[in-house]
Parts: sequence; structure tokens; C-alpha cells
Amino acid sequence: MKPTTTRRVAKRRFPTLAVLTWLYVLWSLLPVLIAARISLNDGRSRSTFQPMSFRWYWGDHQSSVWYDDSLQTSMANTVKLALLCMLIATPLGVAMAIGLQRWRGRISNAANGLMLLPIVTPEIVFGVAFFFVFSQVYTGFPSGLTRMLLGHITFTLSFVVVIVRARLAAIGTQYEEAARDLGASRLQAIRLVLLPLLAPAIFASVMVVFATSVDDFVISSFLSSGAATETVPIKIYSGARAGSTPALNALATVMLVLTLLAVTLAACLARWANKRGGSASGATAGFAGLTG
Amino acid sequence: MRSSRRDFLARSAQLGVALGAGVPLLQSCADNGKKSVNNKTIADGLEPEKGPLRIVNYDSYVNPDVLADFEAKYGVKTELTTIFSDTEVVTKIASGAIKVDVQHSMANTSIGNMIAGGLLQPLNKSYIPNFANVISNFNDPFYDPGAKYSVPYTFFGTGIGYRTDRIDPADVEAQGWDTIWNATDFAGEVSVLDDEREALVMAMMRRGLFDVNTVDPEVINQALADITELIDLVSVKVNIEAYKDIPEGTTSIAQTWSADLIASAAGYLPEGVSNDVLGFWHPPAGEYVVTNDSMGVLADAEHPVLAHLYLNYLLDNDVSEKNFTWVGYLPALSKLDADYLINAGYVPEHLRNCVPTQEEIDNGLVFKQLDVDGEALYEEAWSKFNAGG
Amino acid sequence: MTAVVDLPVAERRPRNRSSAIWAAFAVPGVGWLIAFFVVSVYAVTAVAFGAVDPLLKTAQPQWNPFAWDFDAMSRIVDRVLHGDLGQVFARTGAYIALALGGCILIGYPVAYFAARVVKRRRGLLMAALVLPFWISYLMRMLAWTNLLQPDGYVNKVLRFLHLMDEPRNWLNGDSYTVVIGLIYGYVPFFILPLFASLERLDGRLIEAGRDLGASAFQTFRRVTLPLSVPGLMAASVITILPMAGDYYTNTYLTSGSPKTTMVGNQIEFFLQRSSQPQSGASLVLLLMACLFVLMMYYLVITIRQQRAAER
Repeated sequence: MKPTTTRRVAKRRFPTLAVLTWLYVLWSLLPVLIAARISLNDGRSRSTFQPMSFRWYWGDHQSSVWYDDSLQTSMANTVKLALLCMLIATPLGVAMAIGLQRWRGRISNAANGLMLLPIVTPEIVFGVAFFFVFSQVYTGFPSGLTRMLLGHITFTLSFVVVIVRARLAAIGTQYEEAARDLGASRLQAIRLVLLPLLAPAIFASVMVVFATSVDDFVISSFLSSGAATETVPIKIYSGARAGSTPALNALATVMLVLTLLAVTLAACLARWANKRGGSASGATAGFAGLTG
Repeated sequence: MRSSRRDFLARSAQLGVALGAGVPLLQSCADNGKKSVNNKTIADGLEPEKGPLRIVNYDSYVNPDVLADFEAKYGVKTELTTIFSDTEVVTKIASGAIKVDVQHSMANTSIGNMIAGGLLQPLNKSYIPNFANVISNFNDPFYDPGAKYSVPYTFFGTGIGYRTDRIDPADVEAQGWDTIWNATDFAGEVSVLDDEREALVMAMMRRGLFDVNTVDPEVINQALADITELIDLVSVKVNIEAYKDIPEGTTSIAQTWSADLIASAAGYLPEGVSNDVLGFWHPPAGEYVVTNDSMGVLADAEHPVLAHLYLNYLLDNDVSEKNFTWVGYLPALSKLDADYLINAGYVPEHLRNCVPTQEEIDNGLVFKQLDVDGEALYEEAWSKFNAGG
Repeated sequence: MTAVVDLPVAERRPRNRSSAIWAAFAVPGVGWLIAFFVVSVYAVTAVAFGAVDPLLKTAQPQWNPFAWDFDAMSRIVDRVLHGDLGQVFARTGAYIALALGGCILIGYPVAYFAARVVKRRRGLLMAALVLPFWISYLMRMLAWTNLLQPDGYVNKVLRFLHLMDEPRNWLNGDSYTVVIGLIYGYVPFFILPLFASLERLDGRLIEAGRDLGASAFQTFRRVTLPLSVPGLMAASVITILPMAGDYYTNTYLTSGSPKTTMVGNQIEFFLQRSSQPQSGASLVLLLMACLFVLMMYYLVITIRQQRAAER
């Protein structure tokens, strides 16, 4: 009975809202589709549709994505960074979240505050700070991808902590205590009870870390040490200021398709692993964490 | 504390000497820090390294075909890093943030510092026989006496690029630099170079001041006030993209480098638009800033031999010609003069004035490097200009 | 030692040990943040109050606070208080406020619809809302510049609808191009946290409001809106921060007009293209301070919520 009423109400009351929402969806996605279509232009125009070809994908032997090594390098770098960042920042952040949630004392309060600071620090501050710290203090870290990776991890670490802590607060301690009562050691309780319960939050963190790293322009550009370490966002930025070709659109489109495939795959895997049906959209779940 | 102060003094002393062009004398006082003039030239007759050759350059400032030819000829890969500004390259190289073999386009204003700071290695000219092709003015340039550390890449003058279909060339000729201030009909379609010294000096020259290396705060402040007017007068844009914006039509009048117009004619006109729409004006010889960019090999280059071979390659007449057809910036080679380039069809006759004549080069005004306080004056003014409006 | 151990200590012991375990969990992450965040920010401070190599223009940080040189900072502060940089800060603030307003106007209804209303095609809508999050910000800006070219589709559509006679160049350096660009760029980041919070909102409260005789609008104003404040706040924080440091959007969209310079552009100029890294670092510190004050409220609330959750 009830759902029907709500639906009827919804239908009657919110036609403007529906129209507005779908208009927004159109507005947010149409330009990207147009940009993707422009990547199929046979000519050099970056503003109008021209007859279709794969010139900027592989037809052009000089500047197409397939033949321009620097474009492929940038793609490989982007993916490499995002994967490594994900692999390091997530466990580090999950452990930190569990620790901070349970650890009491004056130091832990300070640590709590410290963990929140990066969340309210804009990316440009990170970029500048990393640039100086690596050129003045940690000069031992090889310039380029290593420094970029350390930067990305630092930038995303707090996101993981916040997302996981929100879930931890919701779970409470009773499940672990029950496990302990049944004879599990503390670490066993964490491994067998807590971590499975945290799975949706961990998945969400992984998604947010991956997306943030793939999208990052500022930190990467402050730390990049040249052609061999450029990422896709850097390429798009530097390319568009100069007289560029639709190859840039092609690069962005390939990257887009790759990311979407990876995300869909991850979502399917997560759903398959967790039949009870966790949140399919990691990103939303992740942002849910930030709303406290 | 003390050591850093001594460091500072030593550095300042080096700077003073470098400014006085006494670079080789520095060896004696260079025992205090890691950065000091580099005197180690590579030996003759070495085999080139396997690469990859790492190059840093501005975007769209070398023909990709030329790089590909070089790769094929020497069986190596090249890696091109692009940067926006000269200061950016120097700091990034100095702080180790980027590691490259060749700095492709050094500005006159930073070569002295790079030498004094030990960032460049002296060239072994036995690898660079093509240096003989270079225009004689650049054999012994003011920024690098004897061309020990650098070879010239391109040269160009600073003037006004404009659309002849929108503004009468006679008007530009009559008004000179005032053209830009009077372009109120073209609001939003006027740009000045994104370079503090070029833009501020333009304002000085408009007032008849031709000391392009002045560090007089009053002069600089007046120049700042003058260019700031442009924000309201013509909604000025600040960039170095006139080479594509003029032919594409989004910019009608721009302070720009002469070579940009050649590049525009060569590759950026929309289909069906004739290169007649492109025009260039520059001040008379003696009031005309003629600048050049140079190539050098970095002191810590991992592939110094290959880097030398690359410099030599770019100074080859044919290679340089091929590069020119794509870049549009004038090679500093005596064979490729205005007549040659026009006869070969690369430069339209009506853009002949984009190629500085021998007289204009001889009497050209040049930007010299300023000390750190002098630079700060220009930068401060530039930051204020960019904040305005 | 063992002999001395008495009962109270023995009781305390497990707590101590468990505390040590939890501390051990937190230590790697905390250590990481100290090494790479705290030290990095201190490095910015040391650069801001340090000197510069007169030859190569690299920063020479001053690590000793007693030897700090406040020249660059006082020059910058002076320019912020009495001059052009104040204008830049004001402009940045205005852009952020306008863009945030736009994000709320567009984002709230969309998030509300997606979270509370839509039933059919919900999955499709969710996917569409999350999708931009997976598309690189710069790719979306690239798409936007493609459209705004003089011969691009925005002009074509406007002329087709006879809303405009002459094609205009949207990329010539107007503030509204930047603000619209910022909205376009950041609204997806605004919608997601708001959606998440609206979705978890307890529907019974709204029903109660209606049952007590409030109109739909009254219920929204008195019940839904207050309940969505945390979500709105998180969403605002997420969008304000990157906008405050943004230097790429306006460069990308206005071919470098002095009329649209933001704080990020000045930072970028001083750090990447000038011989004064101290001034750039000083600006970074100022920006951080401004944002910190702005974010204080959010921080306090978040910490309070965490405390409450721990109990």
C-alpha cells in the first residue's frame, strides 16, 4: 500500500524536479560525449564534427594515441600511480582508522586532529609542500613517479580514514566483543569479524582513492620530473594550451573507457563477493563517510 | 648560519663575475659549494650513448618529424618534456626536480646564471661541426662569450601581430605600440606576451624609453600603470598563443614574436583563409628587441655525447629547414636567410619583415640577465598587473 | 620487578596492552602523516621565511624559526590588505561563493530527487550521477572548451535559437565563463555527498511533519532542510577546497585574462615562473590560514560527532 502512495505522490508532485534532474544529467554528460565524438574527427577541428575516422587513435603515424609514445606513457603512469596508491593508502588508512577509533588518550586526540587536517587542505598546498619537501628534505627519494606516488598516498590517506571510521562507528564493538567472548584473539576478531563487516567501506575507499589519484593534476604536475613521468591530466592541461589536435580528445576518451571498464569490473566483483549486496556504487558510499 | 651566509656571498660574487662575462675566472673561487661553474668537457671521439635522449623544451617548439628522424638516424629514443617558462626550467633543473640531457630553448636572460651555477657543461665543438653554419652574430654572444656553453637555436623580434582584414596596416604603422592601447574596438581580442619583461618593456618603449634592462623602480611602475590600463581599455589577454589565436581569429591584435606569424601562416589558418590576413609590425632597427633561444647540454646529462650530436643535428642546414617549416621560428643559420625562406615558399613575401635583417640583428636591443632584486621588481609588477582589473 | 606488581596495576594492564595494540594500528598512518604532511607544511613555512639562491632562484629554506625573515610575508600581507592581492582574494571568494551557490541550486534538487523521489530508472540515474566522478576533471574542461569555441556548438545552438546574432568567443576572459566552468566542474562532487546524506535521512520524520499538518513546503523547510545540513556542509567543503586552490580552470577557459586571476594563479606564478618562491610560499600559508578558519566549524562538528560515536 504504502510504496504505491509514495510513488503516486512522487509522480504528481515532482515533475519539475524530474525534468531538472534529467536536464542536469544531460548537461553533465553531453559535453563529454561530444568531446568523445570529436576524437573521431578525420580533420584537426576541435570544435565541430567532421567525417569519422580513427586517425587520432591509430591512423596518424605521428600524433595518434597509438603512435605517440608520450601519450601511452602518460596513460601507463596514470594507471600505475592509481593502482599503487590504492594498494598502499587503503591498508594504511584502514589500520589507522581502526587504531584511532579505539585508541584513547591525549596522543590519540592529537592524532585525530592531525588526521582531519589534510581533509581541509586544498590540493595546491599539497602540491607546493611536496615540491619543497622533496627538493629540500627528502632528496633521497628518486624524483618523478616515486615522489608522485608518495604525494598521492598522503593526499588520499585521510579520505580512507574518514570513510572507514564512519562505518566503524556504525558497527560498534559488540560483534568483536562477542567473538572475543567465544575465544577469538583480538587480531582474530579483527580479521574474521571486523574486516568483513568493513568490506563496503574498504571498497568505497578503494574507489575514492583510485578516482582521486587518476584525476589528480595539481600534485602530479608539481612533482613530475619530465616527459617520462607525465600523467594523462598533465597531458590534457599542457596540450590544450598549445595548438592541439583531437588526439587529446582521443587520449581522454581511451582513458575514460579504461576507467569505466575497471570500475564496472570492480563493482561486479564486489557484488559477486558480497552476495548480501553491499553498495554497488563505491563513490557514493565513500562520500557518505564524509558527511559524518 | 655562517656557512649559509658565506655561501650567499660566494654566490653573489659568482653572479657579479658572471655578469661581467668573466666566467672562466670563477674556477678559483668555486670550492665552497656543490654548485659551481662546470669546466669538464667530454673527450673527443666518444661513442654516443644508447639513450634515451631527454630534452626539455616549450610546447610545439620542435618539429616531431625532426625528433623522429634523429631517433631513426642514431637508433635511440627521445623524451620531450614540455615546460611553460624559462624560470621554471632553471629552478626545476637546479632543484633536481627534472633531469634532462638537453635544454632546448634557453633564454639569454638565464644562460649566464646557468653557467655560473654549474648547470651547463662546456661544449666540445668537435662534435658540433655544424656550428660553422651559425650566423656570425651568435658566434660570440654577450650571454655566453665564445659560445662555450650554448649554441643558438632560433631568433626572432618582438612586435605586433594583427589581422589585416580587421585593421589597416597603415594605421598600425602610424601608431606603433599605441595600436594596442588604441584597440578599444577590439576589446577581448587583444593580447600581450605572458612575459613580465617583454610586456613591461613594451610600455616603456611606447614612452620612448629604450633601456630595456632598466631596474629603475619609477620606470617600471609607470610601465605597470600603463599596461594595467589595457585591462579596462581592451580587456587584454595575457598569453603566448597568438600564433594560433590570430589565424583562428580569436585575437585581432597582439604583442607577439615575429616568428609566430610565420608559424601562423604555415599551419594554423582555418581552411579557406588566405595568409594575407596576417600582418606584422615592428619598431625600426635600434628600437627593435631581437632575442634568441639557445640549446645547451646539462652538466649532469646522462647522455652527453648523444646530446652533443643532437645539437649538431639541429644546426644542420637541411634539418633546420625541416624544423623551421613546422616551428616557424627562424633558425640562426646564415644559409636560411629571408630570401632563401621566401623563395622556398615558407614565408609569404608580405611577412618578410618577420625575419630580422642583418642590420636589425646588429642593432637589436637585447634582454640581459638582471640580479635577483631587479628581477623581483619586474615580477612584483607582473603579479600586480595580473591581479588587476 | 614482578614482585612489586599489585592488584590495581594488574587490572590496568590489559587496558594498557589493548591501548598499545590500537596505538600500533594507528602509528604507521600517523607516522606517515607526520613525515609527509606536517614536515611538508613546515617546509613551506621554512621557504616562506627563508631566502632564495641569487643565481638559480631555488628556495633556501630557513629551518630555524629564530632566524626567520618576514620580508616576503609582510610584503604579501601588505598587498593583501591594501592592494591588488586583496582584490585577488576577494575575486576568488566571490567566484567560490557564486559557484557554490550554483552548485546548491543545481545540486540540491538533483540530489533530493535521486535520494528521496525517483523510483523508476533509479539505477540509471545513480550511474549517471556517479559517472562524472570517474571522468577526469580536465577531460570535462577540455569538453567544455571544445563547446565554447567561436565555431563550437554553444554558439551554433544559440544562433539556431535566435538568442544571438553574432557568434561570440566565450573563452575571451569573462568572469561568468569561469564561474560556469567551476560549477560544471565541481557540481558532481557536490551532489554525491549530499545524496548520501539525504538518502540516509529518516523518512519517518518527514511523514511525522506531514501528519502534524505541515504543508509540503513547510515540512521541507522545517524538517528536511535542517536534517540535510551536515550533508550540505560536507558537500560544500568538498567543493570549496579545490576551488580555493584552482588555477587551471580559469587558465584553461580564459586564455589568461588578468580579470579572472584567482589566488591559485598568483601562487603558481610565484612558485613556477618567478625568482621569489618565498612570496609563493607566503601566499600558500595565507590561503591555508583563511581556509582553516573557514573550515574550523566543520572540523569541530566532525570531531564532536566522532566523540559521540565513540561513546
